[in-house]
Amino acid sequence: MTEIKHHAYLFDATRCIDCRACMVACSVENNIEMDKTRIWVAGLGVTGEFPNLQRGTMVYHCMHCEHPDCMSACPVGAYTKAEDGPVIYNPDLCIGCRYCMNACPFGVPHFDYDKGLIEGAFIDKCTFCPQRIYNGQEPACVETCPTDALEYGERDELIAKAHARIAAHPDRYINHVYGEHENGGTSYLILSHVPFKDLGLPELPEEPINEVSETVMEMTIPFALSWGAVLTAVTVGVAAYDNKKKAAEEKKAEESK
Amino acid sequence: MTKTISRRDFLKVGAAGAGALALGQMLPAPVAKAAKASGLLNEAGSGYISSMCEMCVWRCGLRAKVVEGRVVKLDGNPEHEHSRGNLCPRGQSGLMNTYDPDRVLTPLIRVGQRGEGKFRPASWDEALDLVASKMTEIKDKYGAEAMVFSSTHNLSQPLFENLLYAFGSPNYGTQRSLCFNAMIVANLMTYGMEEPGRIYDDKLKYILLTGRNLLEAISTSETHDLITAIDRGAKVVYLDPRYTKTASKATEWLPIKPGMDLAFHLALLNVIIGKRLYNRTFVDKNTIGFDELKKEVSKYTPDWAAPLTGIPAETITRIAHELAEAAPNVLVHNGWRTSNFINSFHTQRAISILNALMGNWGVTMVEAAGEESGTLGVPPQPAYPRVSALRLDGVPWKYPVVPFKIGVFQELRDNIVSGDPYQAHGWFISRQNPIMSIPDRAKTLEAFGKLDFIVTVDIIMNDTAWFSDVILPEASYLERYDPLLPVGNKVFIRQPVIEPQGEAKSAMWIYKQLGTKLGLGDFFQYEDEEDYLRQQLAPLGVSLEEVKAKGYAEAPETPHTGEVAELTWATPSGKIELYSDTLAKVGFSGVPIWDEPPQPAEGQFYLLTGKIATATQFGTQNNQLLHKYSEEPRLWMNAKTAADLGLATDDWVEVASEVGQIHTQLLATQAIRPDCVYMTPGYGHLSKGLKTAYGVGAADSAVHVTHTDPISGGQALSQTFVTVKKA
Repeated sequence: MTEIKHHAYLFDATRCIDCRACMVACSVENNIEMDKTRIWVAGLGVTGEFPNLQRGTMVYHCMHCEHPDCMSACPVGAYTKAEDGPVIYNPDLCIGCRYCMNACPFGVPHFDYDKGLIEGAFIDKCTFCPQRIYNGQEPACVETCPTDALEYGERDELIAKAHARIAAHPDRYINHVYGEHENGGTSYLILSHVPFKDLGLPELPEEPINEVSETVMEMTIPFALSWGAVLTAVTVGVAAYDNKKKAAEEKKAEESK
Repeated sequence: MTKTISRRDFLKVGAAGAGALALGQMLPAPVAKAAKASGLLNEAGSGYISSMCEMCVWRCGLRAKVVEGRVVKLDGNPEHEHSRGNLCPRGQSGLMNTYDPDRVLTPLIRVGQRGEGKFRPASWDEALDLVASKMTEIKDKYGAEAMVFSSTHNLSQPLFENLLYAFGSPNYGTQRSLCFNAMIVANLMTYGMEEPGRIYDDKLKYILLTGRNLLEAISTSETHDLITAIDRGAKVVYLDPRYTKTASKATEWLPIKPGMDLAFHLALLNVIIGKRLYNRTFVDKNTIGFDELKKEVSKYTPDWAAPLTGIPAETITRIAHELAEAAPNVLVHNGWRTSNFINSFHTQRAISILNALMGNWGVTMVEAAGEESGTLGVPPQPAYPRVSALRLDGVPWKYPVVPFKIGVFQELRDNIVSGDPYQAHGWFISRQNPIMSIPDRAKTLEAFGKLDFIVTVDIIMNDTAWFSDVILPEASYLERYDPLLPVGNKVFIRQPVIEPQGEAKSAMWIYKQLGTKLGLGDFFQYEDEEDYLRQQLAPLGVSLEEVKAKGYAEAPETPHTGEVAELTWATPSGKIELYSDTLAKVGFSGVPIWDEPPQPAEGQFYLLTGKIATATQFGTQNNQLLHKYSEEPRLWMNAKTAADLGLATDDWVEVASEVGQIHTQLLATQAIRPDCVYMTPGYGHLSKGLKTAYGVGAADSAVHVTHTDPISGGQALSQTFVTVKKA
């Protein structure tokens, strides 16, 4: 039996030039709507006072946690953690309860009411590009990165590489590989020259935040009991959506006159 | 807190752009038959095709993923030296240029007033007949010189040149004087070549960048090289009045006062020569004019330069010593868009000379491979007709050292307005947007008003097309062939990965058809695009099919110059000219001299422009993917200055120069000198046919004042001074 290799991303903020090629590549590869994105730029950007300045930004997407809080929080098992790294969202199971949004310490899943009602895909997030990685390609964001600020590979090797970089340039890096242990470890590892919180990353304990997800899970029963109320809300929502859509179409028709 | 893109921000784009990327909704395109025949696409029309990017002039190699006749993804071609498997954001979004809902897909003939945007569709035959008859009418009435031609540097340029030179016009405009004339002319005068190649190898220790914002004005492979060099520990000193992304990665950022780069470099030369820090062996063997240079730069001490540049004398002295210690593993980068002030030619000369004094030839600088290859074939053609008319852009009668194929574009526009030395009557414009690119937009529109006939070749309704009489729709770079491009020891192909949409045609086809209608068919001796490429490949003994499949062909490389003793340069003396007799003979200083540029008056700011990673010049703002990921264009102002003026981020401000005013929003930031403001060029489009870009931002060309460097002909793009007040 072949051993399944655990893969991950390594992001090096010292190499990132905030060019956004990764964002465009992801949007094209995954056919993301124009008003959405799976990757965004986080961080404080330029800080300090002229001319003593510093800049720190990071390319942010799903961290693909080893112990995903979204998965623990999900009452219907719409999230799974694959052995080779990705945290996978299954729209077919999703009921749109938004627990994952509350549970995720990184604020990754975002909710799309309209798309959820029409396609059942309430949540949109990074998938690890399965259509590429299982066909011998790197994820779209990694492959295009003009400065190799993003890398893809086996998690153990990337962690070793990250530590080697810190050891080679201790003056350049914060002596820490974010995601090696945070929240029980993630499959998106980060090296930085500025404090990680300045990149928009939360300070997390090494233990996964079970309390949060557990609390959420405790609400499953009351949630189930109130399912009827939810369905009513959905019905109201559908009606509202239909009205909205109708109004938009009418407006469009009017404009084209 | 600095604003970065949050997901919330995308909602702004939402309504206009939603669903536009849903590829299934786009116009259907038939399968590229050629690709299918050569086996690159399967029966369903799916597969990968290698070609070349055209989102900027770096021309990365790409691999296009095609599904059932539609391009769905572009990846960098790992076998192409310019991309090495990567693409920048512009390259990644290239398919959106092709699928832009605002594409012009049929020839258009104007029916309303110019600038009203009223056109009717026409057949190619009708449109080309009209263009040919108008051109002939102008030629018969006023002479061929009354027809002006201009096009931005591209792979079909040799055929464009065929059209204009065969027609018999001397008036050839390019974009170069709005960009890098200073650098090119300086290198020609020093090394006898336009731009030496740069080597970033493991030994490179020290890089001095003068306003070369390589991490935002991306040239994929060179940007990667610079980041890798920094990562390896090479020292990068970066001069820029703005804290750009390059500044943030540089070892040392020097926020120099605009226009004073020349003083900085002259002071470096002063120290390097005064303290004998140069490579004497190399200088003795390979240069001429050292004594003249030494005499001149002896005046320019670091103490002299310090108050001008705002950089302490000790810093300048230290950098001179650091450079010399790292030599020859140093690179003093010429920069890219280098025509910033009327003294920029001397700045560029000083940079070129500094490299020579470091003896870095053959180490970090080499003869550039060039885009023309003697190894490629070319269809036969007759000699061009003799042209005796003067060029409207003053080359060479006003600008004696500016090469013909580069020209002085802004002067061409000025003389269309003045009618001096004669009146132009027609303008043939290809892949260019002079209304947006030439400074003083009102004057460019005035020039348009002087012309009887304007025809534009483009893929979208850019601003110049909007004001034209005929628009000829070109196929996008993913839909057409262009002549082959040599890169190192390979020759790369641009080939259609899908069939052209609508009636769009390649430039090679358009110029040939028009040429034939003008009776100039002998200058276009190829059946079609593939035949042209076959004639190019003939001497290599490689079939077109093989090149199409691989994306390139091996070609013998131009041999590199070997030992230092054998070095010669294409200058009149055969050596690197620290003193140029060519310059002296036409009345310019043979060595770089201090030429103090004007400075803003009290209450005025330097208006700076500069590139961003998500746009190329004036042609990509309508790309919906780039629009999605670009920040709202705003006028940068130093936060403290803004506070003093009672201005805050997002305030609407009026920016005024002597030629115009614009309204835009402010960004108060620490990342710029207090005496400067900055705006991203390329916004503020006039064409309502650009539905994504129209109404976004303001145009730099509406406020840019025309100032031309008398030696290189470069437009001094940073020499515009503006006032800023609350709108």
